[in-house]
Amino acid sequence: MKLVVNGRSLEVAVPGDTPLLWVLREEIGLTGTKYGCGRALCGACTVHVDGAPRRSCVTAVGDIVDRPITTIEGLAAPALHPVQQAWVDENVPQCGYCQSGQIMTAVALLRAKPAPTDADIDDAMSANLCRCGTYPRIRLAIHRAAKVLREGSR
Amino acid sequence: MSAGPSRRAFLAGVGSTLALAVTVGCGGATETRIEHAAATGELAANMYITVLADGRIGLAVNKAELGQGVTTGFATLAAEELAVPIDRVDVHLADSLAEYRTSFGMHQTGGSTSIAEAFGAIRRAAATAREMLVGAAADLWHVPARECTVADGRVHHLASRRELGYGELARSAAHRSIPDHPYLKPRSEFTAIGKTDLRIDARAKVDGSARFGIDVAIPGLVHAYVIHGPQLGARARELHANAARSRPGVIDVFAFAGGVAVVADKYWQALAAAKVVEVEWTRGDTAGLDTEALRIAMRADRSDGATTRDDGHAERALADAAVKVAATYEAPYLAHAALEPLNCTVRVDGARAEVWISTQAPTLVQAFVADAIGGDRDDVLVHTLPSGGGFGRRGVADYAYEAAAIAKHVGRPVKMIWSRESDMTHGFYRPPFATTMQGGLAGGKLTALVAHGVSQSIILSSGGVLEAVLPGIPHALKQVVIDSLIAMVGTNSVPDVFATEGITDTPYAVPNLRVGYTPVRTQLPVGSWRSVGHSFNAFAIESFIDELAHAAGADPIAFRRALLEPGSRQARVLDAVAELGGWSAPLPPGRGRGVARHHSFDTEAAEIAEVELVGQRIKVRKVTCVIDCGIAINPSIVRAQVEGAIIFGLSAALDQEIAVKDGVVQQTNYDSFPPLRMFEAPEIAVHILDSDRPPTGVGEPGLPPIAPAVANALFALTRVRLRRMPLQRAWNERGGAA
Repeated sequence: MKLVVNGRSLEVAVPGDTPLLWVLREEIGLTGTKYGCGRALCGACTVHVDGAPRRSCVTAVGDIVDRPITTIEGLAAPALHPVQQAWVDENVPQCGYCQSGQIMTAVALLRAKPAPTDADIDDAMSANLCRCGTYPRIRLAIHRAAKVLREGSR
Repeated sequence: MSAGPSRRAFLAGVGSTLALAVTVGCGGATETRIEHAAATGELAANMYITVLADGRIGLAVNKAELGQGVTTGFATLAAEELAVPIDRVDVHLADSLAEYRTSFGMHQTGGSTSIAEAFGAIRRAAATAREMLVGAAADLWHVPARECTVADGRVHHLASRRELGYGELARSAAHRSIPDHPYLKPRSEFTAIGKTDLRIDARAKVDGSARFGIDVAIPGLVHAYVIHGPQLGARARELHANAARSRPGVIDVFAFAGGVAVVADKYWQALAAAKVVEVEWTRGDTAGLDTEALRIAMRADRSDGATTRDDGHAERALADAAVKVAATYEAPYLAHAALEPLNCTVRVDGARAEVWISTQAPTLVQAFVADAIGGDRDDVLVHTLPSGGGFGRRGVADYAYEAAAIAKHVGRPVKMIWSRESDMTHGFYRPPFATTMQGGLAGGKLTALVAHGVSQSIILSSGGVLEAVLPGIPHALKQVVIDSLIAMVGTNSVPDVFATEGITDTPYAVPNLRVGYTPVRTQLPVGSWRSVGHSFNAFAIESFIDELAHAAGADPIAFRRALLEPGSRQARVLDAVAELGGWSAPLPPGRGRGVARHHSFDTEAAEIAEVELVGQRIKVRKVTCVIDCGIAINPSIVRAQVEGAIIFGLSAALDQEIAVKDGVVQQTNYDSFPPLRMFEAPEIAVHILDSDRPPTGVGEPGLPPIAPAVANALFALTRVRLRRMPLQRAWNERGGAA
């Protein structure tokens, strides 16, 4: 079946009920998307499908054939996306394992809400767990990225 | 993080390169160093530092990168003494060579000791390399070494305006002997230490390129999913796996010591096949264990146990006290639940093996893998990868044993990945505690304190670990040593240091103080969990001190200050948190404020928490922390560690609990064992007290004060004292048994 990942069209030979997470990691070699819980509870596997955040661990690959998929590897082009840069500038990552998913969720949030309030951030980002406790810095980084993105679009 | 020289040397495998790399890595014989330099143009100065031919610095870090920033810390120390920008340091995690066993005879990470250890070791290693480079340049120029300076990765002779890059000097520097006492910069000359705020691994961790253990790829790799039994130690009595075996990609399905392994070309194939495997399990080792019954038994325990501290005449002083206060504090088992599920990749070659793993303890991995394949631990080479969280769980190597046993069985290199459910139900849990405190006040002063802890001993749960760290002792004798060690702890002739740490060594000056401990036994394994015994003991003593302060009618900070040595680190940190946390400032209605302090891992931390009740939900709005951890190598990372420790500790304090029924762990994923999420994360302000002392622990000390600070704040708000964690459950059940 045909998948469109980070702008590339790819043919994969897997059963349609295979979780997108493992297709990305094992068939396409994109390991930036992480396995954390397998039940859409932690958000480490978050990617974009049609530009919206989606939990790849519970997404059957057969359901998203031909629809554009973006992973963490597809964000930088080639310079870091402003959200990724804000993550570096605020020293957000600790172990870093959840951060691909955090960043994908944050990018989608800022696309929907270019000037998010703290409450908007709480709403969107509470879908993603961080066991290292980087939440305060994620908040700072989102505000920082929002500012950069707004200034860039002027 | 790039592949440094030793990593490159090992990509060839465990074979003959091992011997060479060991001697080079040691920086041992000058001859070996010269040969290595002749072949590569590199100065392999010592086991940590290699000056590469292009002038960059290769740095081997023999600690796990768990997110605590140890690679950045080590790189900063090396950059400081070598006078290079930090981006010219190529860090790699050291392989499991014997010389890297620098921590209690092990290559391991724990106890918040990495930076304290490295502050001497890495600065000396880097200064050694620097003096060899300077010596080489001075010889070349026929000038005294003391006239040479270093800057930006070059040696300069300013008087004659000559300079050479480190890369140009590496070959000749290899001919020089190792200086015995290299000059180390005093704090006043630091340009990197305390002034570096970046993380060297940030970029790779935001663009998806960081490689964790779970991301390892090696040729010919197949994948294993493990079905674990409902109770720990359960064995597959009957296995119905024909349907699974006939599925595409499946290589084998078989019962083994860990449970049932489903091995397939791809992990997704193993996952799908596992769904059609049927297993009948034996009753496991934990059968019959019930945590509610255990809790009642622990509360009821009145045994004398062992005495870990006995000052003055505590019982008599207690009897004489004008005001007596008594309370019992409790806490449950806890899982680590690091976000990267446990996994391990193993290639077995006869009695030798090569392992790729996110681990805190490569030496234990060597031992457990050797055990699984019937080999010697020094024939097991472990490549450590960055961990997606550790918190102590990756300090044991049970999962490496399983991966090795599977790899040996199928005769192919295997990557084993546990499910989240296995990770949570097959842990080495933080032990449960029940600690009874009795205090006596006379004239408003604390004159007597008696504390008695009942908990499951981490040491008694560590037979396998002990076996692994006693190499070279014949097995029969080793078992005798372990048995007698365990017997000594079990009978309390040697007390368990973790059980009462933070109470036995309390800095509060109490003239009559007795601390005791009674171990309870269950078959559920326990282990180190971020801050170990302190994770509970701070809750017991700091809640109780607060109760005593209120009983004395004293301000909780003033009451504590009176018990601390004036001018001590403890007193300074307490005063600072009172000021920075606005202890005396008015509070908005509906908000309560509580304080707690605790000393752990040689570091002092104090926290003020502000809480509210929203409906019946305990909401922590703001936490102010002051920490004295000696010199802060990287202040941003120190603050990040404290922020993280507070949120990790708050998750446990408010909501988390591992409950067991008939030996079966009831919590299986993040829905039933919930970490705090963004919307409940408090505002956190961390202040690092300036210090001239060498660095002390940072990864753990921010955690212990948070639970008592929250309980104390809740008391201030509601006059309800919660003495049992998780606090939200205790609040919901208040008035009942809690």
